[in-house]
Amino acid sequence: MRMTRTIPYLLGAAVAATFPLFTGAYLQQVAVSTLIYLTLAVSWDMLLRSGQLGFGTAGFFGLGSYAAVLLVLNVNAHPFLSIAFGGLVAGAVALLVGLAVLRLRGMYFAITTLALASIFAVVLRNFPRLTGGPEGKMLPTCIYAGDTTKIYWLVLAVAVLTIVISEVFERTRIHLALTSIRNDERVAKSSGVNVFRYLVFVFAVTSAIQGIAGGTYAHVFGFVSPEGSFSANFLLLPLAMALLGGIHSTWGPVVGGLVLGALSEYLKLQIPYGHLLVYGAIIVVVTLFLPQGVSRMFKTWVRRSSVTRGVQ
Amino acid sequence: MTLLRTVPQKRVALLLVSLGIVILMMLWKPYALIEGLQRGGLYALIALPMALILGIVGIINLAHGEFMMLGAYFAYWLGVYFGIDPLVAMIPALAAFAILGSMTYFVTIRRALKAPELNQLLLTFGLAMVGMEFANLMWTSQPLKPHLSYVYSSMALGKLRFGTYAFIYTAAAIVLLVLLLLFLRRTRLGRAALAVGQNPRGARLVGIDIQRTYLLIFGLSIALVGAIGAMFLTRHSVFPSAGSPFTMKSFCLIAMAGMGNLPGVVWGGFALGVAEALVLSFRGYGGWADVVFFAVLVAVIMGRSYRRQTA
Repeated sequence: MRMTRTIPYLLGAAVAATFPLFTGAYLQQVAVSTLIYLTLAVSWDMLLRSGQLGFGTAGFFGLGSYAAVLLVLNVNAHPFLSIAFGGLVAGAVALLVGLAVLRLRGMYFAITTLALASIFAVVLRNFPRLTGGPEGKMLPTCIYAGDTTKIYWLVLAVAVLTIVISEVFERTRIHLALTSIRNDERVAKSSGVNVFRYLVFVFAVTSAIQGIAGGTYAHVFGFVSPEGSFSANFLLLPLAMALLGGIHSTWGPVVGGLVLGALSEYLKLQIPYGHLLVYGAIIVVVTLFLPQGVSRMFKTWVRRSSVTRGVQ
Repeated sequence: MTLLRTVPQKRVALLLVSLGIVILMMLWKPYALIEGLQRGGLYALIALPMALILGIVGIINLAHGEFMMLGAYFAYWLGVYFGIDPLVAMIPALAAFAILGSMTYFVTIRRALKAPELNQLLLTFGLAMVGMEFANLMWTSQPLKPHLSYVYSSMALGKLRFGTYAFIYTAAAIVLLVLLLLFLRRTRLGRAALAVGQNPRGARLVGIDIQRTYLLIFGLSIALVGAIGAMFLTRHSVFPSAGSPFTMKSFCLIAMAGMGNLPGVVWGGFALGVAEALVLSFRGYGGWADVVFFAVLVAVIMGRSYRRQTA
């Protein structure tokens, strides 16, 4: 039983690792952006598991991008170091912001975090000497001089790291604490869960992941700008992916991310302007009609059909 | 729901403080005061329908700014094809957006009324994205603006010369506030809506049709915000993401005023407008004006949570 269960994961890992060996630069590039969005989707869901709806994904993503690029430009740091620095900055800012806004719940938390992307963009735009103002900054070269195979492995490593952290969160006490906070905060508190500390911790960790994703993205494309790095797409796409795949799990957002990542490329070719309309529609339809997401629906369907087969 | 609660003492204090600030500003930076009242009028105007939906239907509509943006596009294209002035286009916009709002209510909001708050937020966020990307798809991200000569009218008061047209927002905000308060206090329908906002179950027990009330309030608010979009177009250009900052600023005003306090929303709008204009008036620091609302929002939130802890 245990063996058959691990087989799909091993297969998936094998395909993911060897993907560049039998595909060209175009498909690798598609995979790179898919994996970045997938990372954001998983990290967004990790916060959602505690019952807090955060809209800050794009904000921390952009912050990480800026931090990484500015570290390279100013002290000529190694790209890996700068990506880690991007995560560190995003995590530290999230910690500070979280200490204030995580005292709030529901719509207050959601909307304050929604405002974060534009606030960060305004703040960065107002230090033109450091950040290049509205034009942003460019890196002298992209990472690995634009070799898509190596870039793919780098981004894959970031995605795998995120999935591993997410699974650690799912399989340790953290999972119990977050689930109890989501179900009933008062009960969690009276059972000895330090609600506020857990929330700040998860908010900082997920934001750091978003910062790392942003730093990686900045190195892949070689530039940052207030409009581009804080684009609402870095919020919209991950949300649609996680919701479609199924929230409150690691694999839901992963499945949703892979499906929508492929779909996004097709749509981009079909309708270059406004193909994102589809993502908004996915969010609306999923929240209204499939709150469980597609992967869980598929699972229950499989279970149901295997049960009927067992009866025969 | 403290929609109609009157706190005379607090109100007098607020009035005196506002008056003091107005006099100070008049002496120190009169242009910032004028600009602030005009800006703030627009903020208050847009926030009022959102406060109405939140107070009575109990849903925070993150697509609020997008409806305003669509209203502006509606007025723009009416102007291009039929030569209608945006201010006249407010009337067809009112009708068209009443239909759009009712349809949105029927197809989406109605199904999420009993859902958890997080689902409602996700739903209206999705609607906002649909609205924004629809505009992107139809009209690209190119800013559009009709040419209107009357918006450049100005007048002189002593040494001061300033544009008068934008006071239309200030006036409209006050008129809309008075009309909404009259509607909620004096009409049967408005009182029923208020009762639903205070306690839906109790309202149903006394025979109020809740679904119809929700539909009415949602449709009315979207109709208003569509018409406000047409008015917005007279001074500002419209593009797909023109509306989203207003969603956030409107929410900031509602959080400042406290749920359901409509006059507070208008006061808050003026305060935010003047604060932004003041920041804009310092040379070299104007870029920070967009952060003011966030600072206010966080300050209000911190104040609230502090008060809750001590209470």
